[in-house]
Amino acid sequence: MENDRVSTGISGLDEILDGGLIPGRTYLVRGGPGTGKTTLGLHFLVSGKAKGDKALFISLGEPESSVRRNAERQGLDLGGVSFLDLSPTPAFFAEVETYDIFSPAEVEREPITRRIVEEVENLKPSRVFIDSMTQFRYLAADPFQYRKQVLSFLRFLVERNATVLFASESSSEAPDDDLQFVCDGVIRLNDAPEGRSLSVSKFRGSSFLGGRHAMVLGGRGMEVFPRLVPEAYRKEFARETIPSGIPELDELLHGGLERGTVTLLTGPSGVGKSTLGMAFMKEAAGRGERSVMYTFEEEVELLLARCEAVNIPAYIMVERGTLAVEKIEPLRYSPEEFACAVRREVEGKGSRIVMLDSVSGYRLSLRGEDMTGHLHALCTYLKNMGVTVLLVNEVEHITGEFRATEVGISYLADNIVFLRYLEMQGELHKAIGVLKKRLSDFERTLREFQITRYGLKVGKPLVGLRGILTGTPEWTRPPG
Amino acid sequence: MRDGPPRPSPAILVAGGNRRNLELLGRSLEADGWRVLTAACMEELDRALSVPEEIGLALVDIAGFGRDIWERCESLRARGVMLLVISPRRSQAIQQESLAHGARGVLVKPLSVREVMTLVRGLLRE
Repeated sequence: MENDRVSTGISGLDEILDGGLIPGRTYLVRGGPGTGKTTLGLHFLVSGKAKGDKALFISLGEPESSVRRNAERQGLDLGGVSFLDLSPTPAFFAEVETYDIFSPAEVEREPITRRIVEEVENLKPSRVFIDSMTQFRYLAADPFQYRKQVLSFLRFLVERNATVLFASESSSEAPDDDLQFVCDGVIRLNDAPEGRSLSVSKFRGSSFLGGRHAMVLGGRGMEVFPRLVPEAYRKEFARETIPSGIPELDELLHGGLERGTVTLLTGPSGVGKSTLGMAFMKEAAGRGERSVMYTFEEEVELLLARCEAVNIPAYIMVERGTLAVEKIEPLRYSPEEFACAVRREVEGKGSRIVMLDSVSGYRLSLRGEDMTGHLHALCTYLKNMGVTVLLVNEVEHITGEFRATEVGISYLADNIVFLRYLEMQGELHKAIGVLKKRLSDFERTLREFQITRYGLKVGKPLVGLRGILTGTPEWTRPPG
Repeated sequence: MRDGPPRPSPAILVAGGNRRNLELLGRSLEADGWRVLTAACMEELDRALSVPEEIGLALVDIAGFGRDIWERCESLRARGVMLLVISPRRSQAIQQESLAHGARGVLVKPLSVREVMTLVRGLLRE
């Protein structure tokens, strides 16, 4: 399938286009100023080099030297890409007398067309990028002529076996809507306050991934992060239960947590939610499986040191590649970019446990809207891939009436494990319990929970207590 | 029509204040096989008129000339040269003035290359 496609040079975009562009067709790149039209074109031209494709950049606006300079800045090597620079020279401005006897369409079109024809016949390029087609609009007498010229120009190139990408500038005086009809595909670039995005609105002869995809322009040119469509991913995996390695905790969970489920670890600040998650990762590392933890608040170094202090050999796990801890800086990533990073871990490195610390950190740190929707998609994807997902969720109340989670999160969870503080006979204790477990039964009682320098300790079931969920339980009968 | 043999016909005088315009119009006419004389100012126009050269048609862009251009139009008519005035805009006054001073018609800029060529061919074949 992929063999008969032409790569755009941007892996994320190729993925959206179901493998790439169809050769011998014409594609429109639309977008306002500074949205990355030229960058996309450059990627397209450069990527043909590996296959020995001849590439031609036809510039009608920006001089060759400036395009080359910008490409260099983005790390794109334009060696091997031919240029046809039809941009106006400074001499044009210096000419005191400008003509008015004929319309520009009559005077300028002919020499430009001739140079293009000569260059194309000469080079026989298989990839052509035209930046931008809008310039031809001013060289046509009327919209009909323009459309006819564009169509005939594109046909001229296609008949010579070129795959054509052409940019257009859209403004209110000169809308480019008409160009969408004359091409085989439309890629739209957009720059909004919540981040850059890319969408495909037309792609003749192929399926494509609809909707908006996150896009980044930077030192490495353009990067595209396809929207995560969880249904597209499915992996065969054993529906087994993975234990925590702490016998009492596994008893509480009737064996442990299942693969391909989402578990919410919920509780107030400092109660030990992350450490609880790490216990599962430590056990997984013992089996030789890789886990990854995304921390949105805590620094990696601090987290690793904290693990070491409670007998979880985090440094060794990282060294052996059975653990990765990633700090996600605030507002650096879009949810799509983050999802791509998670996919690389799961599909590329085979991670079997993914922990997000925490849900509110995810919501606050990533750019964009509809975070619950994005988190839902990510969790569904991970479930389909057989990954055990641990979501850390912090509740504000230290004690008092029990509240499992914030609104809108608990429906994501197959399992809810809660940690909480209890006051018993004037002492502060911690307890762990299970509220929900979709794939198996579980213990209905709470157990005492301690974090010691030898690791997590979970006690016997706390039976004979009443009012546990209030935080100040009483004995129904004297202990003993 | 292009690259045809040069016609053994009278020259065409192209006059106007803008050299770039003259160059473009002259080049188009030459490409169509005509012999072209150009005049970019009144002196050049007078010089062109003083030479005993057979001029069949004059295309005069009045932009760049003063009112004395009408006088030259009169003398062109007196020599039996067909005259077409090129006007920068559609104007009743220019139209009347042109026709009164012997013009066959008025062309308004911007011109269409093809129309001018057809017109010239038509007029000089008469």
